[in-house]
Amino acid sequence: MQNYLLLLHEEPMDYSQFSPEQIQAVIEEYVAWRHKIEGEGKYVGGEKLKDEGGKHLTGGSGGLRVTDGPYTEAKEVIGGYFAISAANYDEAVETASGCPHLKYGGRIELREIEPTH
Amino acid sequence: MTPDQQVQVQESIDHLFRHHAGQMVSVLCRIFGFGRIDMVEDAVQDSLIAAMRTWPFNGIPENPTAWLIQTAKNRLIDRLRRDGRSDSADDEFDVATSASEKPVYFPDEIAEDQLRMTFACCHPSIPPDSQVALTLKIVGGFSVPEIASAYLASEEAVAKMLTRAKARLRGSGIVLDIPVADEITSRLDAVLKVLYLMFNEGYGASGGDELVRRDLCFEAIRLVDILAKHPMTASPKVHAVAALFMFQASRLPARTDHAGELVLLSDQDRSLWDRDLIGRAIRHMRLSADGIEISTFHLEAEIAAAHTLSPDYASTDWRRILECYTSLQQHHFSKIAELNRIVVLSQIDGPEAALAALEDLARLDGLKSHNLFHITRGQLLADLDRSDEAKVAFMRALDLTRNTAVRRFVESRLEKL
Repeated sequence: MQNYLLLLHEEPMDYSQFSPEQIQAVIEEYVAWRHKIEGEGKYVGGEKLKDEGGKHLTGGSGGLRVTDGPYTEAKEVIGGYFAISAANYDEAVETASGCPHLKYGGRIELREIEPTH
Repeated sequence: MTPDQQVQVQESIDHLFRHHAGQMVSVLCRIFGFGRIDMVEDAVQDSLIAAMRTWPFNGIPENPTAWLIQTAKNRLIDRLRRDGRSDSADDEFDVATSASEKPVYFPDEIAEDQLRMTFACCHPSIPPDSQVALTLKIVGGFSVPEIASAYLASEEAVAKMLTRAKARLRGSGIVLDIPVADEITSRLDAVLKVLYLMFNEGYGASGGDELVRRDLCFEAIRLVDILAKHPMTASPKVHAVAALFMFQASRLPARTDHAGELVLLSDQDRSLWDRDLIGRAIRHMRLSADGIEISTFHLEAEIAAAHTLSPDYASTDWRRILECYTSLQQHHFSKIAELNRIVVLSQIDGPEAALAALEDLARLDGLKSHNLFHITRGQLLADLDRSDEAKVAFMRALDLTRNTAVRRFVESRLEKL
């Protein structure tokens, strides 16, 4: 089994018109997906990245440059990540395809994590 | 766990967030003041969105209610600080800030906050229609589109109505509290009237989204339950309303078939009726008898009980129901109740006598423009094998009906002729 990283790309959007019922439905879908892959022993972890703030750092010959971002410039940001385990890319794709993130217009970048040994 | 608790747990999971939204607005308005209700509503929405953004990754917190309230409260405090309200001259703000570390909210406390807010939403300074919408929005956590779909109104119209009602409440200097002494009776009556309208909007076949309308019924039940449990508001009349709502709602699972078609009481599969809800209704019915007043709610609850507790349609106690309708009409004459009374009359004295009573009634203003009049008339004529006349009556009913389920029902009657 290898570990895979799901990078959840999304376009920042306005949720102010979501009703409590809709919000609950979204959470329930994620919970159901996570329970399912936890039950299959494929869930490794996941974290949300904070919506506000963020910095870009560049180095090189010009010295260190720090700018605010990504929200000030990028249309698409990484909202968070999940890590799962799978036998191969096919299986990882299958697991990732059930992630509700896709249903809500998000994009998932799926990458195999290089084993350390 | 008792059946009573099971039902409540099931309902609360079904609409956890909607209920949380209503609870949070009530709790936070008590802390920050009703004058800041718009700010409070924004903070509650932000808190729900924060849950939607983080819970999928971090899991649902052990105490979701406390998490949501704390998040909303922090947003409010941040917002007030930004707005420069942090100077110590503002007492309300001090109270809010000093209370900010409080981690636990007891269910009884939250219920009491909701009770205070319900009394505010049903304040006599705003018109009854707006009272219902306002209660649904602020106490019930219903969204503007949901309220609009239940009422077949535009979202703009509902939003405008809510804004106007909130402005009126702020203008009237309303204090969030449970009325006492000489005020309690009339204010409680106003709340019961609003809950009654809310329930009927959900229960009656007036059109709109079927699921949301069902939710309206259960919201009315949830709120009357809070009234029935609080020592300051529990009264025989409140229990009568609770019994009425619960008996009626217990039959909802059998009222439509798989295709969404309406099923008449006489044809309903009684095994589908909600036994737990009927059990709760019976308990409230008993408590409603603990007084000398017989309100219209008592009479309506008794009619609902007679229908619901009868083992089958044929053994319904029609005479008792007729007595109740007659008393009801003496309390407060209503044309629609009169139509119901005539349907009961046809069970006792036959369709011919009922039809004669109906033709008598036709003289009343406006009744002939009501679809129920023509549906009742068509049904009685069909029972008397006067198919041609029945057909005319049902056609007229169709002209006056916009609700699709009712239209299909009338069409199915026409086909059977």
